[in-house]
Amino acid sequence: MKKILAIVLTVAMMLSLVSFASADGIDIKIWVAENVVDFTVEQVEAFKAANPDFADINVVVEPVGEGDAASKMITDVESGADIFGFAQDQLARLVQAGAIEEVEEENAKVVEAENDAGSVGAVKLGDVMYAYPMTSDNGYFLYYDKSVVTDPSDLDKILADCEAAGKSFYMEINSGWYQTAFFFGAGCELTFDTDSEGALVKMNSSYASEAGVKALKSMIKLAKSPAFMNGSSLSTATNVGAIVDGTWDSGAAKDLFGDNYAAAKLPVCDGYQLGGFGGFKMLGIKPQTDDDKLAACDALAAFLTSEEVQLARYNAVGWGPSNLKAQQSDAVQADVALAALGAQLAYTIPQGQYPGEYWGLATGLGDDILAKKYDDADDAALLEILKGFEATCEGYLAK
Amino acid sequence: MTDLEYFKLSKPERMIRGIGRFFLNLPKKLAGGIKKLGLLIVSLFKGIGTNIADLFTTFKNGDWKTRLSYLVMGFGSCARGQWGRGILFFLFQTVFNLYMFFPNAQFSGCYYLGKLSTLGTVATYKEGRKTVYGDNSFFILLYGVLTLFFIIAFIYTWRMNIKQNKVSEELLKNGHKLKTTKDDVNSLMDSQFHKTMLALPVLGVTIFTILPILFMILVAFTNFDATHQPPGKLFTWVGWDNFRQLLATDTTSYGSTFRHVLLWTLIWAFFATFLNYFLGMLVAIMINKKGIKLKKMWRTILVMTIAIPQFVSLLYVSKMFAADGLINTYLMKWGWISAPLPFWTDPTWARITIIVINVWIGIPYLMLIATGILMNIPADLYESARIDGANAFQMYRKITLPYMLFVTGPYLLTSFTGNINNFNVIFLLSGGKPLSLELAGNAGHTDLLITWLYKMTVNDTNYKLAAVIGILVFIVSAVINLVVYNMIPSIKNEEDFQ
Repeated sequence: MKKILAIVLTVAMMLSLVSFASADGIDIKIWVAENVVDFTVEQVEAFKAANPDFADINVVVEPVGEGDAASKMITDVESGADIFGFAQDQLARLVQAGAIEEVEEENAKVVEAENDAGSVGAVKLGDVMYAYPMTSDNGYFLYYDKSVVTDPSDLDKILADCEAAGKSFYMEINSGWYQTAFFFGAGCELTFDTDSEGALVKMNSSYASEAGVKALKSMIKLAKSPAFMNGSSLSTATNVGAIVDGTWDSGAAKDLFGDNYAAAKLPVCDGYQLGGFGGFKMLGIKPQTDDDKLAACDALAAFLTSEEVQLARYNAVGWGPSNLKAQQSDAVQADVALAALGAQLAYTIPQGQYPGEYWGLATGLGDDILAKKYDDADDAALLEILKGFEATCEGYLAK
Repeated sequence: MTDLEYFKLSKPERMIRGIGRFFLNLPKKLAGGIKKLGLLIVSLFKGIGTNIADLFTTFKNGDWKTRLSYLVMGFGSCARGQWGRGILFFLFQTVFNLYMFFPNAQFSGCYYLGKLSTLGTVATYKEGRKTVYGDNSFFILLYGVLTLFFIIAFIYTWRMNIKQNKVSEELLKNGHKLKTTKDDVNSLMDSQFHKTMLALPVLGVTIFTILPILFMILVAFTNFDATHQPPGKLFTWVGWDNFRQLLATDTTSYGSTFRHVLLWTLIWAFFATFLNYFLGMLVAIMINKKGIKLKKMWRTILVMTIAIPQFVSLLYVSKMFAADGLINTYLMKWGWISAPLPFWTDPTWARITIIVINVWIGIPYLMLIATGILMNIPADLYESARIDGANAFQMYRKITLPYMLFVTGPYLLTSFTGNINNFNVIFLLSGGKPLSLELAGNAGHTDLLITWLYKMTVNDTNYKLAAVIGILVFIVSAVINLVVYNMIPSIKNEEDFQ
């Protein structure tokens, strides 16, 4: 008896490893950030109502953050989402891994005409458009406490104000994204050209120059300030006087500063305006093996990034639209954070494609500054460091 | 030198001679080990040779039933009345043939076996805007290895089938009766019950544990990385290139980063193990002392840190030490420091902080172990030592320490190898940071090999290098374990101890 029981239990254990799956009809899976899941579900219903041809598609919306979506797609394309939202720095990686499909020709023409130049540039690799632009608000600017910072136009004044009030100035200088505020502002350039396959073929860099050394010295000086804190997320920041952050934290900033909430473009530092990147979010479609499903995905993605839906999304969750007409609407014009971003955008370049290793390299440079490694370095030594940085970046090009 | 002269030497001289003797013996021991390995391989080949010879003799001497069994498995058993066994053999052969020569070429074993040497040649292409997927290198590798396993299992079963025929023939010739199917079924529940119970688990372990490990070892010899991702792209064999890249002896990128990370891994494992061990022992001895009151309370307080999951406590502690965390804020508020201490931003500070925090986590466990062992040391050993005039430190060195080291020898070894792979502590406390320009592949100054492997897999999808690191970690752990295990007194002096 005991022996039979033992056998039965072993078999049951093995069977529990078996799982079943079934599918029929057109099933579309969408990955969007958690705070827009409900909004997207509503919009999908609106799409089905407006397009009776596609009334019988099954759409599932799952919360997957933009930062993770690209990695998850690349790890397993076949079980990934059919439509997914991501930020433009992942585009080259997705194209190289064969995880994203080109935008349909007719839709591409519409996208190019209706969205701002930065976002259109961000969704193209070479001449091929790979995604539908959704927002133009992934850049960064300055949030500050009105009662602490009196003049947000100069970095030294901001630091002095924060020191006097015992508050901190937050900026994430060990991030390849925020670091460029100094380098680009001082006049350097670091961009990579890609071909239509997403491979990086050329580096355009002028970091190893007087301007680069100037930017590096500004960062070292900033790191020495007692009011400086390295970071860019309000959720982990304490005692904030001012922070370089983006629109995704506008809600948290409003809660933190209350009536003293204010935003402005980035300040001037050591005589030059801090620049940086303009960032964009977009929707991509994964390569499909079925023509009908592909047509449905095309139509759905185009709808979710159309003018009306972008405006509705702004009203629902505050995401700055990339659609030109939506940007002109009153609601968007009145937003404090978006106004600051708009002012800062004039000094930014649209973020292009960078090799994955560049981000780690830039963090290494930032970490070395934070570790006070270059505190006593002279200009010549700093120039050598930047030359090494450039050489390593050059090594990341596709061979 | 004679024994007398040896004992006349001073302590340091004896130690130096001991070390010298160890290194002189090392080649001899290595040679011995290699000889054993060689003998093992030779005996393996001999075994295969005898089996093949046996195949020929069985065919020559067997009757027509045996000979037919070479083609149709199970025929001989069926013909001699053992229907159960015969049908099982035949079923296995049918399943194998079905799998290998399945009509739909995409799923047959032969398809995967054929493509295994190239890992796929048909690229993905587009028809209009529709994507048509070509070969999937991932599945070719996986199912190719599975097919190889299957073929090995088939050869083994076929050989068993032949042997059975030979044995049955002998038995019948000598006038014995063969086991009927009913006997077989009964024995499966009785004397052969272990086969019944283990069949499914062994199958499960082979498919879900051994096969994936073999698969990942093979990935180390391919170029499976971010630009070669199936199903869109193919990857192929590249031989030893990945190993060459990681073990390069020049001072640039991956080679030097690997050495750097390996050195820190070994240093970390050493400190994490031995610092915890001696401090835990110290705390246990202190609590155990005669004059201490409320022993249970002290032990309970220390054990409470075990109750909180490491995830929670480590994440929280890492925030505490951040530049704007509790510790820095209070120290600055009290005016003791003017700038935040670089706990996580300076490499040396980060390493020391991690080791110290690990001590805080590890001491309770070691204290419990040490308390249990200390209670076992006979008290009269201490009595006689005190009478002989030994002080506390001498008693510790001559009685307590040898006893503890003897009992916990294997534990120390496992703990050391475990700490080489201690992912949790490093990842939760510092995430492997701070990064640096000098370290390639996004490795950080506090990265262990295992956390670097994790970053490579999850962030860079650079599976090929991650697989190589995995293999190297295994080699490092295995070498340390094998060498040290045979050296520790717990194994050598077991009889002495008893």
